[in-house]
Amino acid sequence: MNYADLFRVTLPETALEVAALLVLVVDLGLLRKAALKVRVVVAALLGVAGCGAALWGISLQTGDGLYVGESLVLANGGGVAVAQIGILILTALTLLLLIDSSFTRHVGEYVAVVLMAATGGLLIASARDLLVIFIGLELLSLGLYILTAFAKSSGKSAEAALKYYLFGGMSAAFLLFGFSYFYGLSGSTNLAKIQEAIATSGPSPLFYIAWILVVAGLGFKVAAVPFHLWAPDTYEGAPTPAAAFIASVSKVASFALLISISESWLRIGERCGPWPQLAGILLVLAAASMIVGNLAALAQVSVRRLLAYSAIAHAGYILLGIAFIPGDVSSSFLVEKAVLFYVLTYGLTTIGAFGVVGVVERATGSDKLDSFLGLHKRNPVLAAVLLVLFLSLAGIPPLVGFWAKFNLFAAVLGAQSGPTPFALVALAIAMSAVSLYYYLQVLKRAYVMPAVDETPIKAHPVTLIVLLAIAAAVVVFGCFPALLQGWIASFYI
Amino acid sequence: MLMQEMASVSFQPTTNCGPPGICDYLWLVPAVPIIASGVIGLLKQQKRRTAATLAIGSLSFSLVLALVAFVHVVAGWTHGVAVRETVNFTWIQFGASNVDLGWVLDPLSAVMLAMVTLVGLLIFIYSIGYMAHDENYTRFFCFLSLFAGAMLGVVIANSMLLFFMGWELVGLTSYLLIGFWYQKPAAAAAAKKAFLTTRVGDVFFLLGIVWLFAQTGTLLFYNNGAGSIEHGALAALLAQPAALGLSAAGAIGLLIFAGAAGKSGQFPLHVWLPDAMEGPTPVSALIHAATMVAAGVYLIARVYPLMQAGALAGGTTTPLTVVTWVGAFTAVFAALIAVAQNDIKRILAYSTISQLGYMMAGLGMGGVAVGMFHLITHAFFKALLFMGAGSVIHGCHEEQDVRRMGGLRADMPLTFLTYAIGMLALCGFPLLFSGFWSKDGILEAAQHWSVAKTPFYMLVFGALLTAFYMTRQVGYVFFGTWRGKKPARESPAVITAPLTILAFFAMALGLIGTPAWPWFRGFIESRAVPFEWHGFMEPGLLALMGTSTVMVFLGLGLGWRLYGGQAPKPEQPDVLEKALPLPWAWLRDRLYIDELYGFTVIAFYGWWARVADWLDRRVWGGVVAGVAWAFRGWAHFSRFLDMNWVDGSFDKGCEELASGGGLLSRVQNGRVQTYLRILAFSVVALVAILIWSSLP
Repeated sequence: MNYADLFRVTLPETALEVAALLVLVVDLGLLRKAALKVRVVVAALLGVAGCGAALWGISLQTGDGLYVGESLVLANGGGVAVAQIGILILTALTLLLLIDSSFTRHVGEYVAVVLMAATGGLLIASARDLLVIFIGLELLSLGLYILTAFAKSSGKSAEAALKYYLFGGMSAAFLLFGFSYFYGLSGSTNLAKIQEAIATSGPSPLFYIAWILVVAGLGFKVAAVPFHLWAPDTYEGAPTPAAAFIASVSKVASFALLISISESWLRIGERCGPWPQLAGILLVLAAASMIVGNLAALAQVSVRRLLAYSAIAHAGYILLGIAFIPGDVSSSFLVEKAVLFYVLTYGLTTIGAFGVVGVVERATGSDKLDSFLGLHKRNPVLAAVLLVLFLSLAGIPPLVGFWAKFNLFAAVLGAQSGPTPFALVALAIAMSAVSLYYYLQVLKRAYVMPAVDETPIKAHPVTLIVLLAIAAAVVVFGCFPALLQGWIASFYI
Repeated sequence: MLMQEMASVSFQPTTNCGPPGICDYLWLVPAVPIIASGVIGLLKQQKRRTAATLAIGSLSFSLVLALVAFVHVVAGWTHGVAVRETVNFTWIQFGASNVDLGWVLDPLSAVMLAMVTLVGLLIFIYSIGYMAHDENYTRFFCFLSLFAGAMLGVVIANSMLLFFMGWELVGLTSYLLIGFWYQKPAAAAAAKKAFLTTRVGDVFFLLGIVWLFAQTGTLLFYNNGAGSIEHGALAALLAQPAALGLSAAGAIGLLIFAGAAGKSGQFPLHVWLPDAMEGPTPVSALIHAATMVAAGVYLIARVYPLMQAGALAGGTTTPLTVVTWVGAFTAVFAALIAVAQNDIKRILAYSTISQLGYMMAGLGMGGVAVGMFHLITHAFFKALLFMGAGSVIHGCHEEQDVRRMGGLRADMPLTFLTYAIGMLALCGFPLLFSGFWSKDGILEAAQHWSVAKTPFYMLVFGALLTAFYMTRQVGYVFFGTWRGKKPARESPAVITAPLTILAFFAMALGLIGTPAWPWFRGFIESRAVPFEWHGFMEPGLLALMGTSTVMVFLGLGLGWRLYGGQAPKPEQPDVLEKALPLPWAWLRDRLYIDELYGFTVIAFYGWWARVADWLDRRVWGGVVAGVAWAFRGWAHFSRFLDMNWVDGSFDKGCEELASGGGLLSRVQNGRVQTYLRILAFSVVALVAILIWSSLP
């Protein structure tokens, strides 16, 4: 390793950090006396510019990453680049949603924390070493706790943040505990080296425990049942842009990490004889998430909690894909591409959904289902965006959510034959049908049921443009899925 | 005119667009009318002028682009280049396979594009006048634009899937436009019938598409040698046996023909087309005469390499034989029925079915150029006839029964003149009219067909019938004395002007398909065409032309003798009916095909629906009720347990939990202590599961 390499590989992260510091200097120094509106716009635009610079940094990367000695620490290119680009674009979108919100006067700090958390996301997407993974995760998680608590005048926000923090702290402890076992078993912190060491030494009970501890830690990050309990409270209490960030950017980064860990360890067994069903645990989480997420969402009256449970359900579908990542590289890429397609499009759609919820909540003071009554009369554009996004989340063609599900399930069925994948895909499809019910509950209020209040709802033009752009992307990628598929595939050459 | 000695210009095929050319922008031809339709759909009902302007403007744009494309292909042809430019792109990837879409510009699509946009534009303009008093004027133009876009999409499609998408869209717009006056029960029923009947064919078509994709892994027609109807794929399809001695190519060809038969009203799926006349007349002219019903013929022409795969020199294949027989039978069958109809539009509808049969037979026996030439000429003169009929109906105050008309040649001179031209073109009146040359091409191909001579005799008899029923119709409508109530009046210029233009084409188009100068054939088949008078001197050709001329004059003469100037009043029976009462009744009742379907297919479905209904009510309903009852019982039981046993031992905190609702909400109680406990418990449980599942 030399420092020039390090600088080259971490160029995107550096760009984000520089932007974060710049936002602080500009907001707290130059614009101290300026009006809040100006500060919000400047801070958000600086943040977006930072994301743009980081994207440019990614385009400059060459080679396959940073090596220390012979072990890969930070990976480049391929699925990592796809996930990182996704993280940056989604971060920029959540920053643009900030312009229309008023939960805080400390916009500089908010944007800086978002950028730092995004840095953590970039790190865990590319990290191939336990220590770097843990540092990245903590950077991301601490940022998320702060963001959740950012609405300082709201008791709900503080409560949600505390719960999130306690739950997250405990999960991080589990994860670190698991990592330490792995280090103890293999004498290395590098994913590939650990894989080699364990493949030669064979399974041991300690390995089972370590795997479960790691699964618990990552299950918390992606909100998989039974580690999902923080999600509904956090989604409900956090300020809207923060909730959108948690639901999208943090998800993309965590799933990218889960992909790299699963690729290293999940199929150890298939190379060396009888071996525990590591993937089976992911399947248990996937099935539980699909069932609990979709069924619990049926009973919700708060749209934010509904989105939280829907996020749990979607995490279940994605885990299903990850659990079936096959051992050999070329066919594992097929599943990996399908998972990335799903995660990216899901993140995009969710940001839009939170954007709409945020606007409605500001106008009506509540995120209850009934506050969406008659939305198509109060703001037809917003209602149309909601229609597109929710139908996409439910997986209705020709929207992108349909192709995401189709791709993922087709990849799962193609990766492994037999009754298990078939049964689980059947469960997933049945549960998607269930999910249509609660998405339609919201749309029914927006379109069909009589309005109580018909005063128009105004949305900030920037918010409206962001939402329309997201809805347009959902439709275009739905009609021409090969655009996005081809783009993802272009990183795998 | 078969196989002339051609000047030896070697035609070099082009396979894809080099520098950006017209082919790269060809997608705009269907896209612009579709976008216009979307915009019109958002307009308010009162914005009539805007709607018409948008529809006509967008189709004019398509017409210009289509003509540029046509000129491009013709220019390539004159320089000895067989133009076939394709633009393909990947639509979806799943796993390791792709579904590709694309469009193609070759002589076939260029001719069709020019025809559809030109005829379509004239009918759009005609609609301004015809629909002037309809309150749903904007909706009409919205559907019409959508139809035009979808039809043009079918024409340029270079992928079976894109073709099918457009195909289904034209089916949808056909349904919407037949049922445009949905307040009329007959119109609503006709729309439903059209949709369902064509759906029967479409199911087979879809099966063919899926089979083709499974065998070849692509749905593109042309893809630099890797397309599904190019040499490599066809060889593989021929090598793959299907059932009954057919190769996969033959079976797929038959399935595709079933789809084409549904859309093009071939027997036995023709029943929807006469009923479709319930729609507004411009719709009948555009969709049910000129373009959509011809889409089936176009489909066969498009996949002709597949239909023809495996044929030896001069021989034929099973799919083409089936196409020929179905076409020839339909041609005679529908012409017979047309003789005994009294509704002016129904006569034309059966005539359309009959002419579509000619086209199919032409494709089956003579190749793409023969069938397509009749398609193009027919599109012009049949659109002319329908629009003329619309003008008559308009002038006679929405009267459609020919027995209540008469003597209109004096009241509506311009309509009469153009209608007569269309009628003579349809009858195949010698030399001056396009229909003569295109029908002669088909008859000549039938005469040389290697398998059987019967189709030739059938088609010649069909020509006689055609001349007869058209003379009968014209005699009823334009000659004799006025038998209606209110006097008729001539239609406005916006209606008659398109008629005049179409009448010009109905005559002039014959020039490009005479034996002396078979320009059309050479263009479609990418061969050079010299002008040679001795094209007429082919052995047997003059005799054939003589025969068909005699047939036409025989039909005209018979018709004139029976109906010229002495058409009976509505109460009196027809002349033929007096002579042959029983056959007349059969033909009048359309040979009882509808009744046959009513007694078989529809009765079966009715019976099956009752069975399903009974199963649903008695059996499945019972099962569902049983399950629900079991769950209710279980719920009562657990409530009993809860109240009498569990609750007693719970402290106050747990009572709070219990009131919170279902199990899931109990877990989600908002207490972080509970959450953490569950977290720890889950980890332990998962370890247990993992170790347990790993036991040998």
